[in-house]
Amino acid sequence: MLKTEDYSQSGEVVQTDVLDNGLHVQYVYKPDYHKTYAMFTTNFGSIDNSFRLAGDEEFTRVPAGTAHFLEHKLFDKEDYDAFDLFGKTGASANAFTSATQTSYLFSTTDHVAENVDILLSFVQDPYFTDATVEKEKGIIGQEIQMYQDDADWQLYSGILGNLYPTHPLHVDVAGSIDSIATITPDMLKTVHAAFYQPRNMTLTVVGNFDVDAIHNVVQANQAKHDFSQLRELERGVQPDYAADSILPYRMQTLPISRSKAIVGVKGLTEIPDNRDGLRQTFAVRLLLEMIFGDSGAKYLDLYDQGVIDESFFYEFTTGRGFNYITLGGDSADPAQLSETLINVLTDYKDSPDFTPARFEVLKRAAVGKFFASLNSLENIANQLASQSFSSVSPFLIPEVVEGLTFADVQNAAEMLVRSEAISVFHIHAEEEQ
Amino acid sequence: MRVKIVEGVHLNVVPSKQFKTTHVNIQFLAPLRRETIGARTLLTSLLETSSADYPSQNLLSAQLEKMYGASFGIGVSRSGRVHRVGASINVLDDNFTESPLLPEAFAFLRRVLFRPLIKDGSFDAATFARERDNLAIYLNSMNDDRGTQAGLRVQQTYFDDPAQAVPSFGTAADLGNLTAQSLVDTYTDMLQNDQIEIIVMGNVDADHVADLTRELNFAPRADLNVSIPYDQAVHGGIRLFQESEDVKQSKLNLAYHVQTDSFGPRYYAAELAAQLFGGSPLSLLFRNVREKQSMAYYANASTNLNRHIMMVQTGIDAVNRARVEELIGEQLAMVANGKFTDGQLEAVRTGMLSDRRAALDSMQYLSDMALTAALFPNRVVTPERELELITAATRAEVQQAAAGMQLQAVYFLKGETK
Repeated sequence: MLKTEDYSQSGEVVQTDVLDNGLHVQYVYKPDYHKTYAMFTTNFGSIDNSFRLAGDEEFTRVPAGTAHFLEHKLFDKEDYDAFDLFGKTGASANAFTSATQTSYLFSTTDHVAENVDILLSFVQDPYFTDATVEKEKGIIGQEIQMYQDDADWQLYSGILGNLYPTHPLHVDVAGSIDSIATITPDMLKTVHAAFYQPRNMTLTVVGNFDVDAIHNVVQANQAKHDFSQLRELERGVQPDYAADSILPYRMQTLPISRSKAIVGVKGLTEIPDNRDGLRQTFAVRLLLEMIFGDSGAKYLDLYDQGVIDESFFYEFTTGRGFNYITLGGDSADPAQLSETLINVLTDYKDSPDFTPARFEVLKRAAVGKFFASLNSLENIANQLASQSFSSVSPFLIPEVVEGLTFADVQNAAEMLVRSEAISVFHIHAEEEQ
Repeated sequence: MRVKIVEGVHLNVVPSKQFKTTHVNIQFLAPLRRETIGARTLLTSLLETSSADYPSQNLLSAQLEKMYGASFGIGVSRSGRVHRVGASINVLDDNFTESPLLPEAFAFLRRVLFRPLIKDGSFDAATFARERDNLAIYLNSMNDDRGTQAGLRVQQTYFDDPAQAVPSFGTAADLGNLTAQSLVDTYTDMLQNDQIEIIVMGNVDADHVADLTRELNFAPRADLNVSIPYDQAVHGGIRLFQESEDVKQSKLNLAYHVQTDSFGPRYYAAELAAQLFGGSPLSLLFRNVREKQSMAYYANASTNLNRHIMMVQTGIDAVNRARVEELIGEQLAMVANGKFTDGQLEAVRTGMLSDRRAALDSMQYLSDMALTAALFPNRVVTPERELELITAATRAEVQQAAAGMQLQAVYFLKGETK
């Protein structure tokens, strides 16, 4: 039975259900739109490097890059390519892997039912051979190389390496040429059976489609699969909120024209996957906006001095078992940039921009930007899918943000801004010969 | 619906209840001239960060935050022989705010565009120096992204006309001769002489928007007297530009001349040919070069038919260069010679139709279509007409379009590990 959740403030309605096999589905009907966007997500990402099923004694370890490799390989079937099946109906398909999730998606303006059926089936019916797995190693090898030439990617990867040196978060999602070389069809089968269980997955459909009809298609499709042999999954990866493993500083040199600096602040406290966690997350985001946002006096000061430029960024990321702040940008003097940013952050209490009045304006702007983001079906689906393993809907964001107080931001700052949690990574531009 | 506000100034209203925001976009259109590209780009940086009412960037941003986090930006682009400066703002629809934001959005644009930070015939010296330096740094670092570098270099190799060969935002070298005084001339020229097209989209009343637009008080000016398409004559031989860098992945980019009309049957046949050749996961480049032969991490084609060109971009291993170039040529020949099934063509066509219909959910696409229609007043350019012509293109027309595509320039960035 579909359950209806009405988020009147956001102007959105979500219908949800959990099927007998454990698959969680969520639908948002948007009659003014032309397209439908569907996303099939498993709670399995690059950090899930070991697991055990009920009855197993030992944990099974998987090479770095396996989740991403599996994502590529699922499109390839014995006598067809899943891209073709979508393509024949005019739908376009894609997939991506993050640290904690793998998502498969299509968007279409027609034949929604047929495409939902294709989506569920190609993801749940794996087919791997030695030949196709070997060939994929070449394609992914190219992808890995491309990221090695991307300085911003290297910068981000560098700071994750500093903050999480003993946790798989520091390994690139795609793995390395060496790690993927060890992947075999059997390994992929085992991992698929463990992590692609329906109860570890969600289906999100947003757009102009008949909700009841699509729900019937989903139920009929799932009834065709036998999931009775599935065993309870236990993940090997542990949360990482430890300060003592942090590497305070590293650097590298690349053939680019302008140096880069990034500051990372590792969250040393878990942020729960519920409404309270959503409050804390937005409190941290507002903190960063207040002291680093481009409407602040400090921002102008740093911009006018040439310490920061348009490339300046700041971000707060939360995931299963970790959370961290990153901030940085391009600079001729990366040490000056990172030192300045650390000072502004740790002295936030003295910042002229850290005031209750500014907090109120930024709060309203945050709610406004959230509403504006709901123009995009992709954005709605991505937000719903990425939150789908938590107990709180993204459509509650306006309510949660409006309920925030300045004291919440002060508490969030106390929790997160700690000198022992801070690390720096620089990329120096190579001197021209 | 396009209405004349005064001579040379038009308003294009696209009413829609689909979105939660209202979009206002003011376009300044001038003939593309090599010597003004850099100046107009720097001007956008100045207007975007300062004005008489908001003399510094943080005050300007604070005003947007007060308007429920409205988004605002000014940028440049090129449509064939025309250089465009566009200022746009997106504000929340009245359903989500206590008071209407559209009049505020117009007032904001008026302040930013009509009251720049100019005193005694000069932009503010400190702001000018900072924005010029920042823009120079940014332009000098474009090549740090190797994909961007390859795309810009193949364009530079293809075009003879310097105004077409450089990026639409100019080069760092352009900035050296500009002064805080000379930019005032650039500004005045743009404000007084450019053709103006204003696009407003959202849950709006056309008469109300026309009133708001009149309050901007644009002076009359002449319509742009330029035919937009740019068509460089085909030359014999293929130009080659090669360089090496200490990078792991090499880039091979190709540029082709394309024969086409403007938004007519040949235009969409060429689009279909390019899609079948390299525009989607169903294309021959993706299928045969990337998937079957594993010769490239990416290999795709894109068109700019206002400039009669198609570009191919690939990321490859340096040792495979000759083989990849050969394979790319073979794939295009396959389209020209009809070596594709009806099923393949129909799948690509269906995909294009689906993409175009899906784009009806994008404010950006709808706004771009309204602008294109305004730029080509003698053509029918609508989302519906696009769907019709894509549907009507025949196999023979697609083959003919591909047969007319001629390789003119090749750029190779050779990765060499030190």
